Formats: sequence, structure tokens, C-alpha cells
Amino acid sequence: MSLRIADFFIGTLSGALMAFCTYLVVSPNSNMLLGMILGGLIGMSLMMILMVLLMPFFGAFEVMIPLHINAMLVGMPAGMLSTLPSLELFDVTLGGTAIGFFVALQVYLSNKRLTEL
Amino acid sequence: MKSKKQSYDRVAKFFDFLRKGDMRRWNAHQKSLFENLSGEVLYIGIGTGLETVNFPADLKITAIDISSAMIQQSKTRAKSYPGKINLCLMDAESSAFRDHSFDSVVTVCVLCSVKHPVTCLEEIKRVLKPEGKLVMYEHVLSKNPFYAIALKTMSNLTEFLEGTYLDRDTVSNAEKAGFEIFSHKNVYLDIVKALMAKPI
Repeated sequence: MSLRIADFFIGTLSGALMAFCTYLVVSPNSNMLLGMILGGLIGMSLMMILMVLLMPFFGAFEVMIPLHINAMLVGMPAGMLSTLPSLELFDVTLGGTAIGFFVALQVYLSNKRLTEL
Repeated sequence: MKSKKQSYDRVAKFFDFLRKGDMRRWNAHQKSLFENLSGEVLYIGIGTGLETVNFPADLKITAIDISSAMIQQSKTRAKSYPGKINLCLMDAESSAFRDHSFDSVVTVCVLCSVKHPVTCLEEIKRVLKPEGKLVMYEHVLSKNPFYAIALKTMSNLTEFLEGTYLDRDTVSNAEKAGFEIFSHKNVYLDIVKALMAKPI
């Protein structure tokens, strides 16, 4: 049970962290395409660091799958959104948190369906 | 690129730490799967012997591994197993056992690591008795494209670092080698699987 809760924390917090870091690196008013590429790269870099840190404690595949999906689904949109001057750090991080939670939930439900077959 | 033996010799010291999380998740599933082992058992890829705690007691096991450092690390666990474990340094793709020597063969995350999985499975079929059982606890490529992208991407890295592939189709490989899968259970998504097969 504790590992299942940990899975939700890992998914949600990694989404938040990826969005947070992307906002700090990508400057507002910069090109949206460049923001998207930078966001993707930041997402992937953070994914690698988090994987190395978390896999020995929480299991290789259970960490790898949500982090990888988060890197794709959070990094690039967060990079694009960070170029919009109307959005604050809080807004982008909240978006990343929401996507991270959704990914963790999706993986949980998918795992439940596949392992109950 | 480093050979399999060199790769596993290199990671032997850190292996227990790296697999700690996996073992926390897998112990119960492995215990349940290994209940199906009986008679003379060949355990391919013992590694540091992490899974020996999940074997039922009183089995007569011959355990092989390609890495001498792994074999060395596994000695303590092999000694504390409440049964008999003989350790041998051997390549799973070309073992020295006679035909039809074992009642059961067990693999745990081995068919993702050997260079030629079908050759390895054919070798298993050779040493397994015709009425014997192959018990596999393996990870494979997911059929879900989102998960498959992650596995294929990471496979490039794991292949480079330690010679492990995350994109193997072990179910098809077993069938190609002449096995019939009669029990198929997903442990995590459709990636980690508990499988049982018999020679056709």
C-alpha cells in the first residue's frame, strides 16, 4: 500500500518539478517553439536524474514509466506556457502537478486492469 | 562495448542496492510463482541470489551465472537457503548439462540480458525433461505505445550500461524455441510477467 501511495507522489511531484524548473529556465516573451524544445530537454534531463535517484528505492519500471510520460507531457507544454507573459510560476507549476497526477492515476488504473486479467 | 561477463562483474557490488526497490515489489509475486517448482531445478542467472528467499524450502537447485563476481556474492545466500543450491559458473546459451536433466528451469530477468534469447530458450528446452516446466519471471516490451516508447528509449541506455534489453518479446521467443505458454500473469502493467511454459 505504501508503495502505491509513493507512486502517486512520484508522478505528481515529478510533474510539478519539471514544470517548475522549465519556468525558471525559459524566459517569458521568448519564442514558443524554442520554449517547447527547451522544456522537452529539461523534462528529459530531470527524468534521468530522478530515475537514478528513485529507482533503487521504488522499483525500476514503476519509476521509469510515469517519469518518462511526464517528461513528454509536462516538459514541452510547460516550456510553451512559460513563454506567455500572462502566466506566473504558480500557474505553470500547477499545470505540471495536474498532468503528473493524471499520469500517475492513468498508470495506476492501467496496471489494475492489466494485472487483474 | 563490454562483454556481458564484464558488465555483470562490474555491477555485482551495487546489484543488491539497485534491485532493492524491485524486490520490495516482487517478493510476493515470486513466492507465489516459485511454488510451482519441483524436482531437480535449474536456476539460470542467480545473480547475487536475491530471489533465493522466495524459493520454497527443500528444493535441489543447480544455479548458474555468467559472472564470477555475482557467483561470489551469491554464496552466502545459497548457504542460508533451506535446501540445496549448487553454484556453477556457466553461460546459459551453452550449458554443460546433459539432455533432459532437470524437472524445472527457472529464469528471473535473464531473457532480457542474454545475447540470443531464442538460443538460450532452445538450450533450456534441451536440458529440460519433456514433461518438465519452465518458470519465467521476466520483463518484456509493452503493447501500449506510451509505455513502449519509454522502454525502447531506455533500452538503448541499459544496453550500453549493463547489456540489458527492455524491448524483448519473451512470450514469442519462448514459442519460437518450442515452448507452449500455459500460464501468463501480468505483475506490473503488461511489462513484468510471471510465465510458465512446457516443451511442445
